[in-house]
Amino acid sequence: MSRSAKIFSTIVILVWLLMALAPSLLAPGDPLAINPTEAFQKPGLAHFFGTDESGRDIYTRVIHGAGDSLAIGLAATALGMGLAIILGTVAALSPRWLDEVILRVLEALYAIPSLLMALLIIAFTGPGVGPAIVAVGLSTAPGYARLVRSQIRNLKNSEMLEAATVLGRSNWLKVRNHLIPNALKPLMALVTLGIGQAVIWAAALSFLGLGTAPPAPEWGAMLSAGRVYLHLAWWMSLFPGLAIVAVAVSATVIGRALGGKVKSL
Amino acid sequence: MSQQTLITLKDLSVSFDGAPAVKNISLTVRAGQVLALVGESGSGKSVTARSLLGLSGGQVSASELTICGRDALNLNDSAWQKIRGNTISMILQDALMALDPLRAVGREIGDGLKEHSSLSRAQRVQRVHEVLASVNMPDPELRAKQRSTELSGGMRQRALIAQALVGNPQVVIADEATTALDSQLTALVLAQLRALKDQGRGVLMISHDLAQVAHLADEIAVMRHGEIVESGPTAQVLNHPQHEYTRQLLQAVPSGVPRFAPLSITGAPRPSVPERQTPAGPLALSATNLSKSFGKHVAVAQVSFELPQGTTLGLVGESGSGKTTTARMVLGLQKPDSGTVDLLGERFAPLHEPQRSQLRERMGAIYQNPLGSFDPRYSVGQLLTDALSGGKSKRDQSYSQQVDQLLEQVQLSSKLRSRSPRELSGGQRQRLAIARALAPKPSVLVLDEPVSALDVSIQATVLDLLDQIQLETGTSYLFISHDLSVIEHMSDYVAVMHQGKIIEQGTTASIFGSPQEDYTRKLLAAMPRLR
Repeated sequence: MSRSAKIFSTIVILVWLLMALAPSLLAPGDPLAINPTEAFQKPGLAHFFGTDESGRDIYTRVIHGAGDSLAIGLAATALGMGLAIILGTVAALSPRWLDEVILRVLEALYAIPSLLMALLIIAFTGPGVGPAIVAVGLSTAPGYARLVRSQIRNLKNSEMLEAATVLGRSNWLKVRNHLIPNALKPLMALVTLGIGQAVIWAAALSFLGLGTAPPAPEWGAMLSAGRVYLHLAWWMSLFPGLAIVAVAVSATVIGRALGGKVKSL
Repeated sequence: MSQQTLITLKDLSVSFDGAPAVKNISLTVRAGQVLALVGESGSGKSVTARSLLGLSGGQVSASELTICGRDALNLNDSAWQKIRGNTISMILQDALMALDPLRAVGREIGDGLKEHSSLSRAQRVQRVHEVLASVNMPDPELRAKQRSTELSGGMRQRALIAQALVGNPQVVIADEATTALDSQLTALVLAQLRALKDQGRGVLMISHDLAQVAHLADEIAVMRHGEIVESGPTAQVLNHPQHEYTRQLLQAVPSGVPRFAPLSITGAPRPSVPERQTPAGPLALSATNLSKSFGKHVAVAQVSFELPQGTTLGLVGESGSGKTTTARMVLGLQKPDSGTVDLLGERFAPLHEPQRSQLRERMGAIYQNPLGSFDPRYSVGQLLTDALSGGKSKRDQSYSQQVDQLLEQVQLSSKLRSRSPRELSGGQRQRLAIARALAPKPSVLVLDEPVSALDVSIQATVLDLLDQIQLETGTSYLFISHDLSVIEHMSDYVAVMHQGKIIEQGTTASIFGSPQEDYTRKLLAAMPRLR
């Protein structure tokens, strides 16, 4: 991977964080302010990315939409990872029969496409930001859990753990001080990849009207709203779409770079 | 010295990215002679050997390199390929790594012939069988069809040697070909090298251990920091070493050195057998009838021994004899099928972990590969803080003084505290492992091949350190090794293991002086000695 790709990706992610944490700094306007007289304005100096059917400024909405995408991306990944650590660690350390049970459950969940499972969960909970987080988090957990389990199983039989046993460490200390931190280290790269993936899924759910509801500025929802006017106002879909692609690709590039680094250690 | 000269090398220098690894080395290999190149890791001996095969990988310059009458100074890759294998070849170090586990060894060995000869397929198979027979491989025709994983350790070593010999080379280089092998395999390889010499080939033998080469080499060249510091006929180098460094290497060989006499020059001089106070009280460690099987394989059978306080029991045997399984049962890492372990008069195994938690810190362990036993995320200081605090913290500054004391006790600089163990040398890592094991002030240390991965000169300093710690603290050692000379130097008592059983045990003097069992005599006969 080229150096410039990594630098560019890092900049995109930093800008994304800035957009999410301090949107007013980059776009002081109100993302919800309606101005029907300025509907469907082309991108220009007055409106960098143009305006939508209600005359809302797309640029302001894209910037303010970063918050939701970041929150869903991080929260969903954190939820998935948290569940995975618990399930994976329990499976790796428990007696064989329990390990088998957990594994079979994970495999069954793994067999269902993640997005389908997210839809299933939303069918029970109803649409919204919270349900979207839960849905994406739950559907990524089985994949992570299997990785955590295999990491911990390898570490469990390592000399490092034997040395800890000989030094008289309790099982709890061994898990907390050695097993989990060392199992997570190589997963950090995957988490970064996962955030990019979670952003896409969150956008996909909103696109289907199952995540953040309009008129709140969310990239997926904006993409969906612009879809109707694609022949008339291409900019309504293009800019939120670019934002999703830029963030997802950058997170992937950084994740890959981290992955390479972990391997070379 | 009338023998035909096979290799003449003059003024060889090799550097890697401008950093010199070998400086102005000259050497001569003659037919029917063994030249030994001796020095510690990083002294440039392997780079020198590889340069003779055109494989150094660095920037090479020399004023002369003649291999069997051919000027090899400016050969290109394809010309080197013609020489490698049938004029000069190399016996590799690690049989498990060097042989492809998925192919029959006969095919691996025959590959060399495809490149270098016009033999037909049937003739090649014939030649492979011949060369396997010449290295005393039992059933060569059967073995040629098997994969390396199906062969015993000894057969793998033979296959590896056969691979180097199949092209009938006039010069054979053996790069640490005996390192990490137990005494029987070492004896086997040395006998094969002697046979090569008797066949009139030239042998260049590379080793870090003077004792290994003493009986085989006609000439010895001692290397240090990329230079040959001393060279000459074997008897002269061993009996009248001129260079300080040669004397250091000679002193470092533990065989025949009295108990507690220092092996390294930094080791403080002490009376050869100092007064030791034997604390009254129970045995430090005793094992009674320990047995362990894995499936049908009996790893350890009815092993019993006693370790009095403040002394060392050496447990010696070949690889696969059950030493490590015994150590793991003693440490409570493996539950014995039957039998018991008592630590300081109290039951230690078999017990559930919580039941023996009080006793845990009375016993520590040192492994062959210390790096694997450290959490890779911890620095030197954090490892010791963690050990001192019982795992509660790796950053607690209140242990700072104790950390310094431990580092001082194992002669490591306190400047290393913030380093990662990965950045330490092999000897430093083992010192760190010792420091960590000492943190809870144990009564017993179980040392499983603690110096087997170290050069002889580094081994000497670690053994001296262990001696010193035992004298200062009265810690008892269960010292496990395949190396008889190390066991002889370190132990008060010796137990010889063979096929899962202790076949003979007693004081070091009685085992080494008047062994009762044939197997023990065989081991002792295979032991390389200097003195």
